[in-house]
Amino acid sequence: MAERHDYHHISSAVVTVLPGWATSVMAAIANMDGTEIPAHQDHRIVVILEGAGARELGDRLTNIAALDGVVSANLVFEHIEKEEVVET
Amino acid sequence: MTSTLNRRDLLKAQAAAIAASTAGIALPAAAQPVPGGVDALQITWSKAPCRFCGTGCGVMVGVKDNKVVATHGDMQAEVNRGLNCVKGYFLSKIMYGADRLTTPLLRKRDGVYDKEGEFEPVSWDEAFDVMAERLKTVLREKGPTAVGMFGSGQWTIFEGYAASKLMRAGFLSNNLDPNARHCMASAAVAFMRAFGMDEPMGCYDDFEHADAFVVWGSNMAEMHPILWTRLADRRLGHPHVRCAVLSTFTHRTMDLADIPIVFKPGTDLAILNYIANHIIQSGRVNEAFVRDHVTFMRGATDIGYGLRPEHPLEQAATGADDPGRMEPVDFDAFKALVSEYTLDMVSELSGAEPDFLQELAELYADPDRKVMSLWTMGFNQHVRGVWANHMVYNIHLLTGKIAEPGNSPFSLTGQPSACGTAREVGTFAHRLPADLVVTNDEHRARAEEIWRLPSGLLPAKPGYHAVLQDRMLKDGKLNFYWIQVNNNLQAAPNNSQETYPGYRNPDNFIVVSDAYPTVTALAADLILPAAMWVEKEGAYGNAERRTHVWHELVQAPGEARSDLWQLAEFAKRFTTDEVWPADILADNPAYRGKTLFEVLFQNGNVDRFALDALDPAYENHEARDFGFYIQKGLFEEYAAFGRGHGHDLADYDRYHQERGLRWPVVDGKETLWRYREGYDPYVGPGEGVKFYGRPDGRAVVLAVPYEPPAEAPDEEFDIWLVTGRVLEHWHSGSMTMRVPELYKAFPGARCFMNAADARERGLNQGAEVRIISRRGEIRSRVETRGRNRMPAGVIFVPWFDASQLINKVTLDATDPISKQTDFKKCAVKIVSVA
Repeated sequence: MAERHDYHHISSAVVTVLPGWATSVMAAIANMDGTEIPAHQDHRIVVILEGAGARELGDRLTNIAALDGVVSANLVFEHIEKEEVVET
Repeated sequence: MTSTLNRRDLLKAQAAAIAASTAGIALPAAAQPVPGGVDALQITWSKAPCRFCGTGCGVMVGVKDNKVVATHGDMQAEVNRGLNCVKGYFLSKIMYGADRLTTPLLRKRDGVYDKEGEFEPVSWDEAFDVMAERLKTVLREKGPTAVGMFGSGQWTIFEGYAASKLMRAGFLSNNLDPNARHCMASAAVAFMRAFGMDEPMGCYDDFEHADAFVVWGSNMAEMHPILWTRLADRRLGHPHVRCAVLSTFTHRTMDLADIPIVFKPGTDLAILNYIANHIIQSGRVNEAFVRDHVTFMRGATDIGYGLRPEHPLEQAATGADDPGRMEPVDFDAFKALVSEYTLDMVSELSGAEPDFLQELAELYADPDRKVMSLWTMGFNQHVRGVWANHMVYNIHLLTGKIAEPGNSPFSLTGQPSACGTAREVGTFAHRLPADLVVTNDEHRARAEEIWRLPSGLLPAKPGYHAVLQDRMLKDGKLNFYWIQVNNNLQAAPNNSQETYPGYRNPDNFIVVSDAYPTVTALAADLILPAAMWVEKEGAYGNAERRTHVWHELVQAPGEARSDLWQLAEFAKRFTTDEVWPADILADNPAYRGKTLFEVLFQNGNVDRFALDALDPAYENHEARDFGFYIQKGLFEEYAAFGRGHGHDLADYDRYHQERGLRWPVVDGKETLWRYREGYDPYVGPGEGVKFYGRPDGRAVVLAVPYEPPAEAPDEEFDIWLVTGRVLEHWHSGSMTMRVPELYKAFPGARCFMNAADARERGLNQGAEVRIISRRGEIRSRVETRGRNRMPAGVIFVPWFDASQLINKVTLDATDPISKQTDFKKCAVKIVSVA
């Protein structure tokens, strides 16, 4: 029986968009793996980002920030969870 | 795995709830978090300001098993209200790079120090022995002017203050300058000249009160994302609000601009004078305000470019001898000077659309519109940076749009404590704490009194500023040099000709304190491993005068020690007899034979708080090592300079409870807007507005013309080079380049270029090119797409990439008044490698 650790990252972000861009930005975000949109209102979109590593999340956040119509994409919460995986 | 799945759901709900609350959005019931759920995660949360930029966001830092495992935006922090930008997001990882320095490293050959040797690990004792021996030799042979230090706006307040004491009062040298010289000097000097006091009169609350924003020479969307979000929220939530963005190329900040203006490098001066002219010509001068609160001055002209004195441009400049000279004039003289800057003339000179220029001028002229002006390096890194800062104050002063909610000329800062440390503590070559200067006899006497030092000890002559330090190292006049928390070899202009040779000059001994092996550290003779951010107790001051303190939260790795520890511990190796003049000691025999540690840090002030004053919930390695609460002692001694003089700070302990407080803090209350009755306790009843930093209580409107840049494209070097930053990297990248995610996001610098310029030179997207100036060259790759869109005739190259040192190419021209380098304007040519 070997024991190892996996890391799981859970983050949330607030994305601000230009008027008229919310729908297309949300569609683009929804297409990204490990990403959910639990809420949105006017020019603000709440996004949850999940993944195995911060690299993956960082890439995804940068991709969101670079989407057309995005004014800013700011992280609010980040948690790194160490999971003990028991292999039998 | 099932229990972790539950935790995962819990964390997701928590993440969503915090983000929604931050955004002011109600969450659907299904996504509500379980109350108290995250408490089960056994993380200790504490507050700290973010490590990265001058915005000063509050961050909650989660620690488990002596490691930072989580961060999130601090909901209680007024600055960022729970948000963190992408840089802040990676805070928890900056301390954990694989190449973190954990032991002192000295260049050695055959077991002894040798400048040509290889780095070998040594003990702190050996490191300090060699350092002290070198320093004493230099002092003996050349005197204090051959000793220097280069610090940073990333120093904590205590560290900058301790460095200033050690250099000025210990080694009697004013050769102390911060890298903020490259970043803020023009802003700071203009504040002193126009208002007699440094730093903005307004604060970030202006974002929620302004009817218009004018962003000058700043890509806020990428460089100050949190403040940009506040600005965007105001603009998008209030349809009457307008936003103007001025730049030499199109960047992300332009996306939100109602008035986008791309101008030719350096012509912002003419645009500023045109706006003043428009206000006057259209009869919208606030005459009562100008009559009661403003004084007019004319500045010296043809002031040169801060190059070496033998440079032909300096020889030709008729006003270079006294570039800072100002003489009183009247309104009519000002009016006559700016009257040349007509719409036609300025549109032609700048290349900007006349309609946009007129709309911009109207934002300022309209008496019913509150305007916030924001700027960073476009103004400050400018051979006429002081003038540019003055000129924007001119506009706000002519219209009386200043020092009240929403009417705010606001100088943004780049480093976390450029204001709190570099400027307020006074780590510039000419400054002392709280806006005092070394050249003023009374100011030095005040410092000697507070520091409990013999009268007449402090040197009166300003030391070498940043660029001059490099020149003096190269010329062999500065021989002992200690660099802390900055990567100057990468950041300095024209570095292959003017910086690197000084570091490797055989007469010189270079010490670098850093957390990582930067290019600067690797060019040194001795590297000292530094503790960073929450590995020590700290205090920063942000751009809106907010002082913010944090506790030590985790232990630094290996032998790494804070800069404060390094400075104070090193002071133990010197006695007054070795470094102070004999006559001073003869007159003050009580100081004889004392160590510098004793006279500077055990002086009855700094050591007056015993260890029982520490918060038992937090470790404090420096306090334990020195036997007293050194941070609190330094802070309270430092605060004595400003209390009662418009720079009042609260009691130290209170800052541990607050998310920062904006000075002056009088009777326990912070000050949001200075110089105006009702907001500022220093303005008495009936005074209305009072610019009390100046003896006459009036602010200066300065009459100065447009003057061209030091170097412009010609037939051979036919294109402008502008340098700067990109979203994913902050400054030289020595911290953020450790974060693999950020490195991957923007792995190598690019040469952003107009597609037509590229076609003309037969270059395709991605082609490898040489960027060549009269100083040097680098290789890069052409980027004609991407977020930065260049006009014809201008390229942009980010400066963070150590493998593409663009500062080999840049020109070491400075603003002659502030000595700040112009990184935004020089001429290059682009040649295909293929």
